[in-house]
Amino acid sequence: MTADDLGILWLTVRVATLATLLILPFGVACGWLLARWRGPGRTVAETVLSLPLVLPPTAVGLLLLQALRRNSPAGRLLERAGIELLFTPAAVVLACAVMSFPFLVRFARTAFEEVDPRLLTMARTLGDSPAEAFRRVALPLAWRGILAGTLLAFSRALGEFGATILVAGSIPGRTQTLALAIFQRTHIGQDAAAMRLVVLTVALGFAAVLATEMLTRRRARRVET
Amino acid sequence: MISLDVALTLPRFELRVETDLVGGGVAVLGPSGAGKTSLLETIAGLRPRARGRVVLDGAVLMDDASGVRLAPEARRIGYVPQDALLFPHRSVGENVRFGLRSGARAGLFDELVEILEIAPLIRRAPTAISGGERQRVALARALATEPRLLLLDEPLAAIDVELKERILPYLLRVRDALRVPFLYVTHNAGEAAVIAEEALLLREGAVVRQGPTEAVLAAMTGERIDPAARYENVLAGALEPRAAGMETATFHAGGARLVVPAAPAEAAPGRTVFTVAPEEILVSERPPERVSARNRLFGRVMSVRETPDGTWLRVHAEGIAWTVRLTHAAEEELALAPGAGVWLTIKAHAFHRLA
Repeated sequence: MTADDLGILWLTVRVATLATLLILPFGVACGWLLARWRGPGRTVAETVLSLPLVLPPTAVGLLLLQALRRNSPAGRLLERAGIELLFTPAAVVLACAVMSFPFLVRFARTAFEEVDPRLLTMARTLGDSPAEAFRRVALPLAWRGILAGTLLAFSRALGEFGATILVAGSIPGRTQTLALAIFQRTHIGQDAAAMRLVVLTVALGFAAVLATEMLTRRRARRVET
Repeated sequence: MISLDVALTLPRFELRVETDLVGGGVAVLGPSGAGKTSLLETIAGLRPRARGRVVLDGAVLMDDASGVRLAPEARRIGYVPQDALLFPHRSVGENVRFGLRSGARAGLFDELVEILEIAPLIRRAPTAISGGERQRVALARALATEPRLLLLDEPLAAIDVELKERILPYLLRVRDALRVPFLYVTHNAGEAAVIAEEALLLREGAVVRQGPTEAVLAAMTGERIDPAARYENVLAGALEPRAAGMETATFHAGGARLVVPAAPAEAAPGRTVFTVAPEEILVSERPPERVSARNRLFGRVMSVRETPDGTWLRVHAEGIAWTVRLTHAAEEELALAPGAGVWLTIKAHAFHRLA
């Protein structure tokens, strides 16, 4: 294991964590709205939010690149604010966030759908505002599913490749995450060096999936019976 | 006082209730699907599509004319639904505390735990207790909010639950200790007689009878409120402690001193509820002599009603209105009419203790 390897690992974990934290509030909010909203537009919203799941990641990357390039409206806004986004670590975070968002939303939606809506109205008659009922009833009942979605989103972010390479490139020490480094090292014939990174990704992925399984399988809190 | 003028479109009919309820306790009677639960939910503010006006002790909770519609949390109405709906992620104690607000009276929690006898359950999960216990916990949780009105929806399944599981004795204690006015949906007309001063009979969303409970029940003697519900006589009163060597004890209800099975030695003396099935009461024109049954009461027939199930009598005896069921043949032989004096004979063991 070289210092380079560990640097890549650290960058990967950092951007995946930031991406996950970034999408957490929005993902939970979208999951909640999709679970509760019964009006028109629900199916359309659901489809749009799921698109990154079915599109090739490079297609999503190209769309992001187009949206953020210098002469686009968003690009001009960023430029005026003096923010350099493309080909920076922040762009890696953005690409990971977009690609893992649908996982979180799906899990959160399912978790909220399993909460009996009558428990929420019950909380209202006991004096809770809708926001308090959400915090005291919906969230605690759905947290297991939300956590599972969060860990899955984190795992997805760890392995993000296609969208990242388009908006952030593969700059060693700056935007080159594990997935990008493995590709680059293989490309230039350093198979043994690439394998070391593969071992790291296996360990990381194993830990994330295991944590998900353990947290979602563990029985609800022990109570005296 | 609750003043209602509400309408709500339901799949099979329109719920339409326009009435003033003045009693501290109001029994809401009616068959399954008559709109009883919808009425409670409308009052609690849980039916966004309900229209009209709801005023509770002068406070307007909802009024379409002036655009007032208080959110459920602003109404201060305690609601106990049929299935109790305890929060599964909280223990029994945490469920009760859920409703406690910062300004709640000190000692309220302990008082509720004591009145509703849930101390042994406090640390259990809602899934680990019985249906009757869940109802009591849900009642405690609703009362923890110090509501201005309590709405109770008795499960239809409660008709056949074990005697000790029935909520009625606890509700009587709550009524006496906390004096919260309540609306009680019950399938048991006999329970209505002891708990509520006023009764309301709903059919297909409309109030078909309303008034003092005694008058409503007298008018519907023998009428089946619900196909699944049997009528039973329900008596609330004071039970004397068991005397040494006796298997019976004296029970004071209405103006009567009744001989009933003694309570187990560990039971607390005091207010108790007994039930008697209408079939277990014998009727005779002359005082029965040398019979084994311990209770002989003289009374007057108030009403006689023939149904396919038999003949139903409403008899006033010693301050209690009894409902009695006779076979058609027995009724023909006795030829009873309102106003007739009759003797009622009841075995001590025909009385079943609720709590």
